[in-house]
Amino acid sequence: MPKVSVIIATRNRCALLPRAIESALRAGSDVEIVVVDDASEDQTPAVCANYVDQVRYVRLQRRLGIGGVRNVGLISSTAPYIAFLDDDDLRLPGTLDKQVELLDAAPGAGMIYGKALYGNEQCEPAGGSYPDVCPRDDLFWQLLVWNFIPSPTVVFRRACVTRLGLIEEDAPGVEDWDLWVRIAEVYPVLALDEPVAIWRQPTRTSDQFTSRGEELHRLAQRLQREKWLKLPRAIEAGAARRREIARAFARRAAQQLLWEGAANLKSKQFRQFARVALASARLHPIGAGKIILSQPFSSKPHEDRLL
Amino acid sequence: MARVSLIIPTFARPHLLPRAVESALQSARDVEVIVVDDASRDETARVCASLENIKYVRLDRNQGVAGARNAGVLESTGEFIAFLDDDDLRIAGSLDQQLALFDEMPEAGFVGGGVLLADQNCVPTRKSALVRPERGDLFWKILELSVHLIPGSVVVRKSCFQTVGLFNRRLAGIDDWDMWVRISELYPVLVDQQPVCIYRCATPGSDQGSSALARHLHAAVKHQARLLSLPRAQSASPQQRRAVRKNTKRRVADTLTWRAAEELPRGAFSFAAQNFFTSLRLSPMWALRPTHVQVLCRSLRSPREIARAG
Repeated sequence: MPKVSVIIATRNRCALLPRAIESALRAGSDVEIVVVDDASEDQTPAVCANYVDQVRYVRLQRRLGIGGVRNVGLISSTAPYIAFLDDDDLRLPGTLDKQVELLDAAPGAGMIYGKALYGNEQCEPAGGSYPDVCPRDDLFWQLLVWNFIPSPTVVFRRACVTRLGLIEEDAPGVEDWDLWVRIAEVYPVLALDEPVAIWRQPTRTSDQFTSRGEELHRLAQRLQREKWLKLPRAIEAGAARRREIARAFARRAAQQLLWEGAANLKSKQFRQFARVALASARLHPIGAGKIILSQPFSSKPHEDRLL
Repeated sequence: MARVSLIIPTFARPHLLPRAVESALQSARDVEVIVVDDASRDETARVCASLENIKYVRLDRNQGVAGARNAGVLESTGEFIAFLDDDDLRIAGSLDQQLALFDEMPEAGFVGGGVLLADQNCVPTRKSALVRPERGDLFWKILELSVHLIPGSVVVRKSCFQTVGLFNRRLAGIDDWDMWVRISELYPVLVDQQPVCIYRCATPGSDQGSSALARHLHAAVKHQARLLSLPRAQSASPQQRRAVRKNTKRRVADTLTWRAAEELPRGAFSFAAQNFFTSLRLSPMWALRPTHVQVLCRSLRSPREIARAG
């Protein structure tokens, strides 16, 4: 039985897919690759036919969205460790082996993550990586406030999902965040403090999910309110702690949206800016005002790139 | 390796579960029985530890019945998947019979079977659910709620989940119907009338999921509007889609009225009222048909008649 299953979700990106598959093949010595095709309308089946021996190709007949696709990947995979890879991101060579070794050595840990290099539209490293520091062990409270774990850098145990439930299908774009929160509630989290993946950054034209920041914040806020803050650990911690977390979340999200808005302003997209600023003000009215007054729209910190 | 996996999602019913498991083990010569404990906080875990020949999957966070079924599918190894609710029973040998039907129709997505209706103690009453033998393209019939399928009467080819996806957790109580619709959109299916499952009928107070009949059926009618956006339905004519809506609403109104009339003599007034108002909302003209009103009035009178006779 293979050691790690890499689940690659894809839709209508047959030009990028081979690169992702090749990178996954080189990332570990005992890897099973499952490509789940979300009812693509392009040449994806033909492209995957070239990898018949190395890849298990699962084709959905009806479009499901990222959460549903990853769940189908889970039921189609066999290994005790799981890694997700998006069709436009890359895994760095040998990194799965390193992460699996660390997980093997810590049987109590649920998952391990690492740093992702920012990539340009061709997925070449464009300078910089994320996150700057990799906290580890109990990350539950930190993850409730913001998501600093890039999804292509994670390897988690299959047992986590059989114990905690499968991927949320109802929150496209933040379903990975939801999984990290649920894992971190129960298990310690490991980190490998080096780059393990290349993360293609969204641009205005690339039509990636991540281009729609404010919608993702709204989804995440809904999840936080309806699901995360109702997890047993959050309940036990008391109402004051939960309020504090909700506030910290709103402040952070409002900040990120404003940074995004600033970028829009610089590139003279006034409509986009207005939309983002409005969303920010809705999340945290006072905070947004404070930020506008106190911070010049100059440097764009790294953190805001995750969502 | 077993050819078929039977998944029993369970939540806080340790007294009923052993009976369901035992019936599951006798339903086929070689079956992998998977009990998915949906984070029960009672003695379910202890009861499961004493059950032999099962695979026990414990969820630590409650996922709802659809999520528990999904976890079962994730843990299953069989080529075919059957489900059984923790308060229902499988009939001995029934799973083998249904697998034989797959051999008869290898392209089938799932195989359905007959259902015996039982009281709260799972003793079959004389009645059985009206299951007509049918095969082939049943998409429209299933979409119209006119094929009687319950989780315990269906065996699915596992690869279907790899083409249509898993159960939708948002649709508590109708997630199974949603799945049968999605599968039958793409695959021919086969429904046989030979009984395979004993169904513990819900009563208004029995606290089963299906006690909330009106709410579930209303949710189903609402969800049907979304299912009508499936490509198969979209390629049909608008008239056909409208006819489906109308027929479904009428059928649901019929069912609700009939169940209300059945329970009224036992004093289930709020259940009956809920049913009546739901059917009124769905299809006012149909709900107020003279026959419906007559049936309800007669059942309202009957307790008094019984009292007078006594």
